[in-house]
Amino acid sequence: MATSILDHSSPQAAPGAHSIIRTADLWKIYEMGDQQVAALRGVTVDIARNEYVAIMGPSGSGKSTLMNLIGCLDSPSRGQYWLNGQLVSAMDDDQLAHIRNHEIGFVFQTFNLLARASALHNVELPLIYAGVPPAERAARALEALQKVDLEPRKDHKPNELSGGQRQRVAIARALVNRPSIILADEPTGNLDSTTSNEIMGLLDRLWEQGNTIVLVTHEHDISEYAHRVIYIRDGKVDRDHLTARGERVLAAKPAATP
Amino acid sequence: MNLKESILVALETLRSHKLRSFLTLLGVIVSVCTLVAVVSLVQGMNQYVSDKIGHLGSNTFLLSQFSIEDHTDQERFMEARKRNKEIRLEDLQYLQEAASLPEQLAASMGHAPIEVKGGTRSLEDVNLAGVTANTLRVAAFEVGQGRYFTPTDEQHRSNVAFVGPDVTRELFPGTDPVGKSINVDGRDYTIVGVATALGNVFGQSQDNFVQVPLATFRKMYGTEGSLQINVLARSVTLLPVTEDEIRMLMRAHRHLHYNDKDTFGIISSDTVMQLWNNLTGAIAAVMVGVSAVFLVVGGIVIMNIMLAAVSERTREIGIRKALGARRKDVLWQFLIESAVISTVGGLLGILVAFIFTLVAGALTPIPFSMPITAVIVAVLVSTIVGLFFGIYPASKAAKLDPIVALRAEA
Ligand SMILES: Nc1ncnc2c1ncn2[C@@H]1O[C@H](COP(=O)(O)OP(=O)(O)O)[C@@H](O)[C@H]1O
Ligand SMILES: [Mg+2]
Repeated sequence: MATSILDHSSPQAAPGAHSIIRTADLWKIYEMGDQQVAALRGVTVDIARNEYVAIMGPSGSGKSTLMNLIGCLDSPSRGQYWLNGQLVSAMDDDQLAHIRNHEIGFVFQTFNLLARASALHNVELPLIYAGVPPAERAARALEALQKVDLEPRKDHKPNELSGGQRQRVAIARALVNRPSIILADEPTGNLDSTTSNEIMGLLDRLWEQGNTIVLVTHEHDISEYAHRVIYIRDGKVDRDHLTARGERVLAAKPAATP
Repeated sequence: MNLKESILVALETLRSHKLRSFLTLLGVIVSVCTLVAVVSLVQGMNQYVSDKIGHLGSNTFLLSQFSIEDHTDQERFMEARKRNKEIRLEDLQYLQEAASLPEQLAASMGHAPIEVKGGTRSLEDVNLAGVTANTLRVAAFEVGQGRYFTPTDEQHRSNVAFVGPDVTRELFPGTDPVGKSINVDGRDYTIVGVATALGNVFGQSQDNFVQVPLATFRKMYGTEGSLQINVLARSVTLLPVTEDEIRMLMRAHRHLHYNDKDTFGIISSDTVMQLWNNLTGAIAAVMVGVSAVFLVVGGIVIMNIMLAAVSERTREIGIRKALGARRKDVLWQFLIESAVISTVGGLLGILVAFIFTLVAGALTPIPFSMPITAVIVAVLVSTIVGLFFGIYPASKAAKLDPIVALRAEA
């Protein structure tokens, strides 16, 4: 095959070495009293290492539900999900916590920083749960803050930082444990357009450095930063195509070998 | 979750909500304070009493009509009143002949508090007693001025008196009292000596007495009434056998059957101390019970506050879980927080108790001390209470669904 980007035609196959996210017929059914709501109805996607994917779709289509599953915050009702070669759909709470800690870096719309902790401490949190010793922890957190140009603000509390700076702290926190994927859920939803562009530029840089990025957004402008867009409708994948940027990136790449 | 992190979070929470924290901790503070203060108090009073009783002579005991136990309740006292006989002069004479172990057998007979006149002044409520001349050997005081009684005073039934320093200070201030005359119950006595000061025990002066020779006393007040015989053993180690000998002789002398009860009482400083310890032990037990109730109340308050903290910080819990905190990490965070809060309360309680004992020590002659074991136990107990009452809130926090928690209001 020429490239992995469009290769999600054989969901039952074991994940290839190039796949970082692979789902097979994922279902999520919520029980609402005696009613059942199927938020996802058989989603099969395959995302390769160092892809930059946006998930889009109308409100209530199941984007957040899919993000929660990909982020290992929840387990599917049916189907399989491999993350970085591990079958996570069958894992229990504590195993999922371990996966979240090591494999996933979250960036949320509302930043979700600890209000009473300094920027540095916020960035250190994933390392605390990873059991990294304090000295190494501080050094790595500082390094992550450097990557988002916020080292001078390391001792500031979130309320002493602007929205864009808070989101950069959150991105540093997402990076610090060297995850397999960065999951950004409407990362610019609470930011003005200039700051949004800054943050998206930062995500671009992370992609250039080799990170895999999955972005949820309902804004077309923002989705254009990604290379591939997966449209969800009624809990199913409706469309899955490259963006203009994605085409350019693909064209610029020398012919890949599988 | 590492310990330091949890402790810092807990202390930060306390610092940022000072008033609420204080109210939260009140129960634990009060309970630990009560516990430590009571233990210190009882310990101090025990020390005080044993010092004062020890003063009476560690190798003496009393033979009297009633024992200490006879006084413990009404019923027992009524029985003892029927059974026990007065200690007569004839008992003393018998013991003096028959007992081989005692060093001294000093007898005395007391009178109800009485008015004493001297010069132009008078003093009420003075303890009057008739004593044998060897009483000096068993008494706590020494001769400060003049002399004590001699056997000659006894033989002649002389009208002489040996008095406590309260009496001379009141009646003959600024003058030499020896040789002065005092009047008790219409009868004149010449002061031959004054005792050294003993001070107060529980606010009761020990220096407010007039002693006259036993024979003089009996001439004046008759031979009715029981003697008290103060027995001085040759050494502390011989005290128990001396006690046994006196008991045996008295039983034989009174023809008691082997399963009859004693018809007299033997009071040693041991039995007094024992009685005292029973009393303070009972007080301590009640107060420990009271502080245990406070502690449970304090624990429930902490549990409530921790439940509030969990719901207030649901978002924080969600964030921590999203970043990889496992159930047990969250559980420990809140358990440690609860334990730290409670321990801080315990430490504050100890501080308050410490100030209390300092003040009490300064205001009273009782040597209050705070036993280190009480402090350690108090800290441990408050920590355990925090852990215990933290279990429910912490497990609630640990079980939160990360998605639901992340959606909570910040
Ligand atoms: N916790 C839940 N319980 C019940 N129904 C839910 C829950 N979460 C989402 N849903 C339902 O699932 C569907 C998809 O929701 P969601 O994934 O939030 O969509 P989106 O993020 O695309 O707006 C919706 O119909 C929503 O009402
Ligand atoms: Mg949504």
